[in-house]
Amino acid sequence: MNPRDAGAETLTRDQDTARAEADAVEVALAASGDSRAFERIYRAHVARIHSLARRMLDADLAEEVTQDVFVRAWQKLDTYRGEAAFGTWLHRLAINVILARRASLATRRSRFLADDAAIARARSRPRAPETAIDFEGALARLPAGARQVFVLHDVEGYRHEEIANMLGLATGTSKSQLHRARMALRRHLER
Amino acid sequence: MTDRWTPRLSEYLDGDLPLAERDGLEAHLRTCTACADVLVELEAVVRRAGSLPDTEPTLDLWPAIAHRLASGDETPVARWQPRARRITATLPQLAAAAIVVSLISGATAWLISSRAAPAPAPAVVVAEAPVRDALTPAAEASYRAAVEDLRRVLDADRAKLDTVTVRIVEHNLALIDRAIDDARRALAADPSNAYVSAHLAQAMKRKLDLLRRAATLAARAS
Repeated sequence: MNPRDAGAETLTRDQDTARAEADAVEVALAASGDSRAFERIYRAHVARIHSLARRMLDADLAEEVTQDVFVRAWQKLDTYRGEAAFGTWLHRLAINVILARRASLATRRSRFLADDAAIARARSRPRAPETAIDFEGALARLPAGARQVFVLHDVEGYRHEEIANMLGLATGTSKSQLHRARMALRRHLER
Repeated sequence: MTDRWTPRLSEYLDGDLPLAERDGLEAHLRTCTACADVLVELEAVVRRAGSLPDTEPTLDLWPAIAHRLASGDETPVARWQPRARRITATLPQLAAAAIVVSLISGATAWLISSRAAPAPAPAVVVAEAPVRDALTPAAEASYRAAVEDLRRVLDADRAKLDTVTVRIVEHNLALIDRAIDDARRALAADPSNAYVSAHLAQAMKRKLDLLRRAATLAARAS
C-alpha cells in the first residue's frame, strides 16, 4: 500500500472515530432534553438526510420529510443504544420515515413494475446543452421504484437483500430495477 | 443495441452473476463492442452515484423543527400544515384551549403552592367561545395569571433543582416563548389562519404544562 494512502486511511478512520465520539456526547445531552445539543446533531447530519429524502422522493417533499425525520429522531433518541454509529441509526430511521411517507402517498408495489414511458423519458439523451438535465435531474425523473433501488444500492450502499426487505420486493426485482435505472442514467453522465 | 447479455451487465458489474454465466458473459464481451461499451458506461454511472455530493436544504429547517419539538407536535408536517384552504372556525378552539389550559394550570399551581397531597385535577368544562372572544383581555389575563402563579412557585423552589434541569427548563421555556411570539405576530397579520391559531394554542398549553411539571418537580424535591 502506498504510504500516502495508508496515511489518508488512518486520517479518515481518526475523523470517523472523532465524529462518532462527538455524536455520542451530543446524543446523550439531547436524550436528556437538551435541544441545543439536538440542534448541533441536526446541523451535522441534515445535508445527508436531506439529500437522501430529495433523491428518494420528489424534491418538493424533501424539506418536509427532513423535518419529520429529525422530529422522529428526537422522539426516539432514548431507543438509541449506541450499538451502531449514530449516523447509521439516523440514516436507517430516515429511510423508514421516507418509506412510510411513500406509503401514505399511496404508492403501491405495482409502481415497481415496468413503467416504460417514465424509463424512456429518463433515458432520452439530451438534445442540446441548454436542454440537458444533469445526473441528479435524470435520477429524479426515474420511476419511483427504479429510483429508490438505485439510490439505496448505488448511492447509499445497501445490498439487494436489504433493499428487497425494506421495499417488500423480490431480490430479483431489486436487481432488475437497478439495471433499468443504470441503463437510463448512463445517458446523462456529465461529459 | 441490446442482446441477451445486456440485462445481465449490472449483475456482472456487481459480482452477482453466477460463475458459469460470468464466464459466458466475459467471452461475449471479447467479441461484442456494444456490450463492452455499455459496461463501461454502467461503471461510470456507479462511480458517479458513489460521488454525488450531499446538499443542505435551501432553507434552514431548524426553526420549524425546534418549534415542533417545543410544541410537542408529533404530526408529520405534510398533514400538519394546511395547504391551500384556510378555515376560519379555529379561533374558537384557540380561545377554548387558552381558557382550558389556564384553568388546569391555575388549579395545579394552587395545589402545588398549598403543598397539598397530589389530588386529581378538577374537572374542566370546555365551553365554545365565539370568535370575537379568542383573544379577549379576559382570556389573556387568565392565561398570564396562570403563568405567573406557576412561575412564582417555580422560582420559590428552583434552588432545590439541579442546575442542568433548571437550564433545560429555562431553555425550553425560551423556545416556547419565541414560538408564542412568532405565532402572535403571524396571527395579528392573518387572524383567520387556522394553522397559526392552532399552534399558538398548542404553544400556550405547552408552556403551562412545562411550568406545571417543573413547579411540581421543585415542590417535591424538598
